[in-house]
Amino acid sequence: MKESLMDILCDPLDKSDLELEVDERDDDEILEGRLIGTETGEVYPIEDGIPNLLPPDMRDD
Amino acid sequence: MKGQEWYQADDVAREYDSKRFSKGGRLIDHREKQAVLSALGPVEGKNVLEIACGTGRFTVMLAERGADVVGLDISAAMMAQGRQKARSAGVGDRIEFIRGDAARLPFPDDHFDAVMAMRFFHLADTPAKFLAEMRRVSKKQVFFDTFNSFSTRVVYNWLLPMGSHLYSRADVERLLAGAGLQLADESHDFILPYGLYRKIPNGIAGELRELDETIRDNEYGEKLSSVSYWNAEVL
Repeated sequence: MKESLMDILCDPLDKSDLELEVDERDDDEILEGRLIGTETGEVYPIEDGIPNLLPPDMRDD
Repeated sequence: MKGQEWYQADDVAREYDSKRFSKGGRLIDHREKQAVLSALGPVEGKNVLEIACGTGRFTVMLAERGADVVGLDISAAMMAQGRQKARSAGVGDRIEFIRGDAARLPFPDDHFDAVMAMRFFHLADTPAKFLAEMRRVSKKQVFFDTFNSFSTRVVYNWLLPMGSHLYSRADVERLLAGAGLQLADESHDFILPYGLYRKIPNGIAGELRELDETIRDNEYGEKLSSVSYWNAEVL
C-alpha cells in the first residue's frame, strides 16, 4: 500500500483513525508494517504490501 | 474443503483465471467487463471500490481506463495474483488491494464515486448488510450482479464448491429499498449457465452464445436469464 491510502483508511470496527507503523518499504510502497486503531488499539498487519483490515473475529492468524 | 478455505488456497488462486475464463469462459469474462463499463461509464479520475475483487479482473481493467481503484477481498492469495496482474499492466500506482470484511468496510461514509461487486451476492449470507455497507461508502452509485432463481442456474448450482444464493427480482427490489438505493438501470443475460460455457471450446461456445443472445432478446428473455446486472443510485 501507499502512504496516501492512510487518507481514507479507517478502523473497520468503529471507523476511527488508524496509526501507521512501517517495517519495510520499497520507494513509496509500504510492504510490511501495521495499522493500529487509535480508539480500539486493534493491530492490523500489512503483509506483502496488502493491509489486512479483517476484524479480529475474522482473522485466522 | 469448505467454500472460504477453497477460495483462499494458493493453488486455487493461481489457477482461478485460467480455469474460469479460458475456453467458453472468455465470453463470460467479456460480457461481465462490458456490463461493468457500461454501468460505470467513463471512469477516468473516478474513485471506485470493488468488493470481492478476487484476482483483479475488473480492478485492473478500470485502472487501465484511468480510475483510481481500491480492491477489497477476503483472500490474500487472490489479491497476490491481482497485484502481479496490476504490475504487468503498468497500473500498480492506480490500485490498492486491501484485505477486509465487506460487512465492515474500513472506509468513511460517502467516499467513493462508485462501489461495485461482481459475483459476490451469490456467496453472501447477509446480503442486506453488505449492500447497506456498500451504500454507506458510496457517494453516487452501487453496481452488482445476481444469479437468478427460476433459471437454468438452479440445475447446476449444487455442483459448485461454494454455496450459491439465487435471487428473484422481488428479492433485489427489497434489498435496494432497504439499503436506500434506487434502481437506475438493469440488464439480464445468459439463458445458459456459466458452468456450461466453461466446459466447451471457443468455437462451439461462440455458436451457443449466439443462440443464447437470440433467446435473451425475445419477450421471455429476462425471465429465463440466469444473470442480472443491477445499476443503482444512492438516494
